[in-house]
Parts: sequence; C-alpha cells; structure tokens
Amino acid sequence: MARIDLDHVSMTFRVREQYQITLKEFLLRGMYRRLRNPLLKVRALQDVCLRFGDGDRIGIIGGNGAGKSTLLRLLAGIYTPTRGRRIVAGRISSLFELSLGFEMEASGRQNIVYRGYLQGESPRGIRAKMQEIADFSELGRFLDVPVRYYSAGMMVRLAFSIATAIEPEILLVDEVLSAGDMAFQDKAQKRMRDMIARAKIIVIVSHDMGSLPRLCDTGVWLDRGRVRKVGPVREVIAAYREHVQGARTSESDAARDDHEPVPTGFAQPALR
Amino acid sequence: MKAYMADVWRFRHFWLSLVRMDLQARYRRSVLGIGWSLLHPIATTVVLCAVFYQIFHMPVREYLPFLMAGLAWWGYVTGVIGRGCQCFVEAESYIRQHPVPMAVYPLRTALGAMIHFLIALAVVLLLTWCFQGFANLAALPAVLIGLMILLVFGWAAGVVAGYVNTIFRDIQHLTDIVFQILFYLTPVMYPPDILVRSNMTWVLTINPLTHLLKIVRDPLIAGTIPSVRAYGAAAATTLLLVGVAALLLGRLQRKVILYL
Repeated sequence: MARIDLDHVSMTFRVREQYQITLKEFLLRGMYRRLRNPLLKVRALQDVCLRFGDGDRIGIIGGNGAGKSTLLRLLAGIYTPTRGRRIVAGRISSLFELSLGFEMEASGRQNIVYRGYLQGESPRGIRAKMQEIADFSELGRFLDVPVRYYSAGMMVRLAFSIATAIEPEILLVDEVLSAGDMAFQDKAQKRMRDMIARAKIIVIVSHDMGSLPRLCDTGVWLDRGRVRKVGPVREVIAAYREHVQGARTSESDAARDDHEPVPTGFAQPALR
Repeated sequence: MKAYMADVWRFRHFWLSLVRMDLQARYRRSVLGIGWSLLHPIATTVVLCAVFYQIFHMPVREYLPFLMAGLAWWGYVTGVIGRGCQCFVEAESYIRQHPVPMAVYPLRTALGAMIHFLIALAVVLLLTWCFQGFANLAALPAVLIGLMILLVFGWAAGVVAGYVNTIFRDIQHLTDIVFQILFYLTPVMYPPDILVRSNMTWVLTINPLTHLLKIVRDPLIAGTIPSVRAYGAAAATTLLLVGVAALLLGRLQRKVILYL
C-alpha cells in the first residue's frame, strides 16, 4: 500500500548570496563582511498539503522556479521539510538528474551495479536484471568501457535503463525525457507507460502539456511554492493555460498602451 | 539509533562496493599498484631512521619496525579525518539521487583507510619478524582489539569531520595544520626510552591519540599487552566521539544536502 501524505509542508533554503561561508567569516560575523555576502531566504515550498494513495497518477505543472523539482526531491526523501510533516510509504524509484551518480572511472556494467545498490538492490537482484538493463540501453560493447568516455546521450540511456529496471511502488519523474534522441524518447515513453501500469503512485513533472493527460489523471499546479490548484488533470492544465495566456494578453495590452516591453511571464521564485 | 544501524546494514552492498571501487580507482592506472600507499611510510621511515641513527645513535634493528608501525598508524588517523572531511562533498552526486543513511559515507572512508593500514601493518609484521623476531606471539591478537577500536574511532571522527567540513569548507586546512602540530605531540617517532628522560611526558600522556597508538603498536612491536589505562583511555575517547557523532545523525540527514 503506497501512500504520500504532505501535511502543511514548507521548504525554505537559506542561501548565501556570493559564496559559501568560511569558518573565518562565521567567527567574524559582526564585521563588514556580512553586508557583502548576505543571507537570502528562498521559500521554495510554502504550506503544501497533498494526499495521494494507490492508483494516483499525478502530474505537477507550473512555471520555472515554482518549486516542482524541490517538491519531487522532498517526496524522494532527499530534502527534509523545514516545516510540516512528510509521510511517504512505499518503494521509491526516482528519475531526476540522470547523469549524476556515475563513477567516471568505472565501466558501464560496474555503474549498473553501483546505482542498483544505491537504490537498495541486492547483488542477486542486480545480477538477475543485468541482462535486461544492458539490452534496453543498447550500449553493447560500450558497457565495458569507463563511463568517462560516454557521450551525454549514452549516459542518459544507461541511467534511464537502470532506474526503470527497478520495480517501484512510487515512481518520481522530473522532466528527464528531454535528453536523448528521438528513437530513445519513443522507447523511453513506452517503458514509462509500462512502469506506470506496474507502479502504484506516479508523480511526474512536465512542461509537455500534450502528453501529460495521457500519463496522469490528477494535476497539481504549483505557483511560487504554493499549491494553486489540485484536481482532474485537464482542468488544472486549462486553468494554468488560462492564467499564463491571461497574463500575457493583459501585459501586451498594457505595453501597446504604454509602449513598454512585454515581460516574459516567468514566475519569480519567492525571494525575500 | 538501532534502527539507524539496521538501515546502514541494509545498504551494505552499496558502501562495500564504494570501498572496493575506491581501492580500484586508486590503483587502476598505476605501476606499483598497492605499493604506492606503502611508499610514503617506507620513505619516511628510512629517512627518519637514518637521521636518528646518525644523531641519537638509535639501533636501526629495533627502531625501524617501531617507527614504521607508528607511521602507518599516523597515516590511518590523518587519512580517516582528512578524507573524512571530504566524504560528503565527494559523495554529492549520490546524496542528490537517493537518500541513504549519511553515516554510510564516513564508513566508506574509514574502511578504505583501515584496509591501507592493514596492508602497511602486514609489512611491519614482516619487518619485525626479520629484524628482531617476535617478542611475544601470544600478545598479537590484542592488535585486533586495538584495530576494532580504531575503526569505530575512525568512523565517528569521519562523521564529525565530514559534517563540519561540509558547512565550513576551510576546516580541512585547519586539520592539516593541527595534524602537523600533533605529530610532534604524539609518540609516533619518539622511542620509548628517550621519553623517560624528558619532561614532555605529561603532554604525551594527556594526548588521547597516544593511547590509540599504544593499543596497536605495543602488542605488535614490544610484545606487551597494553595496560588497562591505555585501553580505557582509548575506549573513552572513542565513545566520546561516537556520542558526538550520534547526536549529529539527525542533522546529517536533514542538513548536509543544504550545504552541498
């Protein structure tokens, strides 16, 4: 029984404007350096309440900087909420930043083993899946070559094959399909549809409004860290579209009147 | 805490494979392979031995294995804390992928350092046997107890060092300097009889590292079982560090990623 329960979850990052603070600066906090490297509070997520169970397929949409990737990482357990409670039950498999987590000096095969272990697989489990992963990646003899010699597309293939060979109860996907060539994209989409059939909860972040209704039934619209709308995916997409287009038309109307440049409509992350 | 350790155990394949990979990566494209990790203590040993022979007329036969054991131990301690500082920084890509108990990364460092230490100790055993024969073979198993305490010490130290260095990245340089100083405050190169004549002995006695050194070197070289006081001091230091590390565990999970 898989479950996601976010109860008034907030995620605030405290970021130094210029560079990471050193011990010397920390101790001399009272001096002028504070003005040159101030602390910024980034409220990436604010008061998010979401509850999902078996069979939910959720698509998260929103402008850049709305907090979608942060929310996904929070669900995966990489971030701990600064406020509120996060309960996620079930085996998680995540697909984000696919080219991270590779050991450059090790071969493709060895990396399959390491990443498998990272996701909690046992040696026997990995051995059983090794052939399937190797076949799906279509890397052939390159699997025995160190990963440092791979092209970006090859790394994406490998990472995707490994991550999707696990059988997850909760699948988290973060806009990864943009890498990889067209043939791979088709293959990856099909694989994901198969996975979707086997997983219990799926959360996908995507800007591709066309394919989202095919993969998801519930939509979540994140705007500047807050949940603006939750509901059937087509309704949420329509509301989001309306908002974006409404903003653009009203701004272009104003520009026509005042001869000012039209803003792009990116959502600003909530900075203080 | 128990649940945490069970979690660490659950990911044993992961961190064991990282340890293996560290060893392979280090020796992958080198000529001597594992010989390189011995070259440093061997070179330092030979030089110091020659100097002490010329100046203090130290008998080489006894001093060489003694010194090399101490230097191998020093290599372990500095390695475990030095690399421990970087353990979360270098594992950033893993941390960003999938949550595992953070203590896994300092454990990887400690185990790697311990393996190098054991290799060096094997050479020391060989040298001791060649040069002076074993004073007391029965005392040798006591080395294992010392090694286990050192491993726990190394793991806990790695947790603390890693956490602090992830927040303040210049801590690593600080530890380098502190170790430079500590080298002269720990009886790594001082032969035991020289110490009796000096009034620096109290410094060496209050230094907790001295006892951590004694529990490994004494059974190996001198053939004596370390005193209860030595074991007590070593265990107490280790437990203190373990306590601090245990307090940091919650913070590790929540905060490390925010500083990477």
